[in-house]
Amino acid sequence: MRADIVVLGAGSAGIAAAVTAARQGARVVLLERHGYAGGMGTASLVHTFCGLYLTGGEAPVPANPGFPAEMAERMLRATGAAGPVKMGRVWVLMQHPVEFVRIADELLKESGVDVLFHAEVLSAEREQEGWVVRAACRGGTVAVRGKALIDTSGDAVLADMLGAPSALADSPRLQRPAYVFGVQGVANGESGLPLAGRIVDGVRRGLLPAGALGLHFRASGRAAEIFGTIDLSGAEEGDYDPLDAACLTRLEQDGRATASRVIDFLKREAPGWEVAYVSHWPVRAGVRESRRWKGRHVLTGEEILSGTRHPDDIALASWPLELRETNRGPKLRYPEGDRAAGIPLGCLMPEGLEGVFTAGRCISCDHEAQASIRVMGTCFATGEAAGRSAAAYQE
Amino acid sequence: MNGAPTAEDVIGMLREEGIVELPADFPVHGDLFAEGMDSMAVMQLIVVVEERFGAVIGPEDAGRENLATPGDLARLIARKSGGAA
Repeated sequence: MRADIVVLGAGSAGIAAAVTAARQGARVVLLERHGYAGGMGTASLVHTFCGLYLTGGEAPVPANPGFPAEMAERMLRATGAAGPVKMGRVWVLMQHPVEFVRIADELLKESGVDVLFHAEVLSAEREQEGWVVRAACRGGTVAVRGKALIDTSGDAVLADMLGAPSALADSPRLQRPAYVFGVQGVANGESGLPLAGRIVDGVRRGLLPAGALGLHFRASGRAAEIFGTIDLSGAEEGDYDPLDAACLTRLEQDGRATASRVIDFLKREAPGWEVAYVSHWPVRAGVRESRRWKGRHVLTGEEILSGTRHPDDIALASWPLELRETNRGPKLRYPEGDRAAGIPLGCLMPEGLEGVFTAGRCISCDHEAQASIRVMGTCFATGEAAGRSAAAYQE
Repeated sequence: MNGAPTAEDVIGMLREEGIVELPADFPVHGDLFAEGMDSMAVMQLIVVVEERFGAVIGPEDAGRENLATPGDLARLIARKSGGAA
């Protein structure tokens, strides 16, 4: 296959990058390891779009126009929700993973992106004027040639393949992963604080594992459907490593075991949960932080907290630092005066590499700044900017 | 440790245990949920209160009327510790 631009990974950043570049007239091939696009927002069932709106205020104000605002509009039309909801000081748009899959299909088709699902990128090499990327398909490989590459893998896999500079926080500091699952069969069941009290009671009586204390439920927006989210500690199973298949496997098995025990317990004891059941498992655990590129600019947590703007900003980072270094809930750090910092283009451009861009949670930043820029609303914005930059580059 | 805490003790405990971040002058009648305490934080809170004060908070006690302010919490802990019903 031949393209102008090859995009590695169809999560929120990859969709935005591919659609934007295709709308600029570039020929785009998008490689994705799953059977649908959306990444964390679909395969991991993360059902909130964060970072779409500025913090604070009486009404939601979009942080970034363009692709993020377009996604928000399409999602609101699909779910029928009135708008985002304010949680504390931040605005959050509830999104449904099933709708996200369909919206992504439509956007990619409308803009003429060539999508290849079931393709896990294995290598990338320089070749004459461009690059050749090889991906594993079922029992074989496929080669795709392009003039520019965009790494929206979330794990900076391209940096590793090219031997380019990257960074990964030490295991104990990495933001903990989440395991999200669907539950149905609960109509007007116990919820909120009494349900939290009941789960603690189950742990106290030895009926539930301590990991159940990291669990909370949220309505999906669909009738009698809720999502359970377990914040995994990542510690019980040894050092947490988001790039290690064996580690992820153990975490995911642990997540399913905990979820199953909690649902069985609630069926027996919680009013309204008598016929509850787990209706879907995620394809993978929700990884919050992984390997990051080292680019021409390394965005820092201090820059986010001081609301720093740069001459070449391509998007605003409107989400606070949401630190989850333990599984005891988030610690939020807000910028002075809730002023959103800018993300400069240099964060999307690896140093010393021509024709390579990145977007999403693996852009060039430090561990603290990553706790802000990783959210899907911001990934749409950095993805759009990478798509536009790559399209201009390859012309 | 048994013995009922004051509302000020409760504020100190919430800070020490990282259950909810409170501003320096947070009042004993201030709304903890408005400061970001959610159901997950409440789970941690129930565990901590049992460890520190031997107060067992059951599902029937876990409502906003008992948990919303440091003062409410101090009263709940007093009621639930030392064998009181």
